[in-house]
Amino acid sequence: MIARRQFLGAATASVVLARASAAHAAVTQTVAGAGGLAPGLPRGVDGRLARLATLDLESLQDFTLGFRLLNGNVIRKASMDAFDRLLEREGIDPTTPMTAQAVAALTDKDPAITITARTWLANQQITWKTLRDHFHQYSDHYLTEMESADNTGPGTLELAPTMKIPDYTRHEIHIQPGGYVGDPFAGYIYHYGTNSFYIAVIGHNEQDQVHKGSAQRLPLPADGKVRRILDMGCGVGQMTVALKERFPDAEVWGIDVGGPMVRYSHMRARRLGVGANFAQRLAEDTKFPDNYFDIVTSYIMHHELTADATRNVINEARRVTRPGGVYYPIDFNTGGTAAPPRAMFGRWWDHRWNNEVWSLEYHGLNFTDEIAARGFSMVKNAVAALPGFGVRHAIKQA
Amino acid sequence: MATPKSDRPTYTSEAIPSDVTAGAFLGNPVLDNVVSCMVAMNAELWATKRRMKVLEAVLANAGIADGKIEKYVPTAQQAAEWIADRDRFIELVIGPLANQGYKPFSSDFDKR
Repeated sequence: MIARRQFLGAATASVVLARASAAHAAVTQTVAGAGGLAPGLPRGVDGRLARLATLDLESLQDFTLGFRLLNGNVIRKASMDAFDRLLEREGIDPTTPMTAQAVAALTDKDPAITITARTWLANQQITWKTLRDHFHQYSDHYLTEMESADNTGPGTLELAPTMKIPDYTRHEIHIQPGGYVGDPFAGYIYHYGTNSFYIAVIGHNEQDQVHKGSAQRLPLPADGKVRRILDMGCGVGQMTVALKERFPDAEVWGIDVGGPMVRYSHMRARRLGVGANFAQRLAEDTKFPDNYFDIVTSYIMHHELTADATRNVINEARRVTRPGGVYYPIDFNTGGTAAPPRAMFGRWWDHRWNNEVWSLEYHGLNFTDEIAARGFSMVKNAVAALPGFGVRHAIKQA
Repeated sequence: MATPKSDRPTYTSEAIPSDVTAGAFLGNPVLDNVVSCMVAMNAELWATKRRMKVLEAVLANAGIADGKIEKYVPTAQQAAEWIADRDRFIELVIGPLANQGYKPFSSDFDKR
């Protein structure tokens, strides 16, 4: 676990981080000369993370992070205890699979369960609202910051303002206002907001620790050749950057449907001095040539797709992966349309009130079988690139 | 979704809003609102407390300029103390939500 001192930006940076800091300072100076300067800027960097522009905003995020810890460790436990009592009271076998609809109806009026849901939701709304309010208040500054990076390297950025955005991608996943496509500062908001997501589930990720770990564990093709890598649905580019850092000589691409997301990805990669390429493209229509990539991956994307989109993305992954190349999409284990009540309750709750609109469709698939049915050989006993998540190490058949 | 008041490109498209603000989980939507206010109030209170900690630390170091306060980086010991105090604070104000009361108002004693 990263130390709090590191989290708040102690002067322990490596040469790479020092270079990142210098790059950030240079960008900020440029921005200060070209547009409005948000109060408090620059507040420096915390390793790989630019500190939020005001102390109060940083503190509000610190609160929501702490609340998530308490919610995950204490309040949710009380809620699940109440859930167990509810099962007992209703005479329901805790091992017999239930559907999401049945679990939702069962829990609808239990106050110990609904107060947990309410407080969790209130906290999540504070996370997003405080971040969104800030970035919109100082929109000129942040637009200038992105514009300053759009056409400069290292790495490239391709935006597609006329691209048809599929409706299924327009939802406000995680209840983030505007989602991935509708807010100009979606990348900033997502990056800072999701740092607290990791705390209660996986661990600290302010320094991209989780992404770097996954990138390190990603398997290579049998011949060891890694010249080109694709990260589908790259979000704010944390996995893409980690892959470029692991394979500095490779051509590494991150693509995402969200223009604001790839814009932020490029700006941040540039700030870190990492020459990854980003493009606003669909995972089901990547525009790359056949057999182009040695490794194709995605980081927790598929549960945010419809079942049809997931199948289309697998087909596209097969098209662009070279024979013998690796396809390794990281995502949750799929659990079917019915599961023991406790498991289904968590799954339904995340779907409904975290606005994971398509997650139940995802769970309704057997994701591993869907990949195997589309021209890939599945490696048995493969290593988990992200511990605790599903393992799908696929090799494209010749 | 509001966008900045300028003609600068933002590369956005229309989002489909979630319906979370319509959620009423507690039997009375006013109660939902009160709980949401309570969480927000505590977030603001924590931000205030945290600023005070920075301010006190900066003053202790003989610097009083606002810029110094904004940029202050706590020592390792301070950071550890603050995180412990944050968790104590949250436990105090939010912890009661973990109380597992489930007996109705009219219930009798189990034992007497």
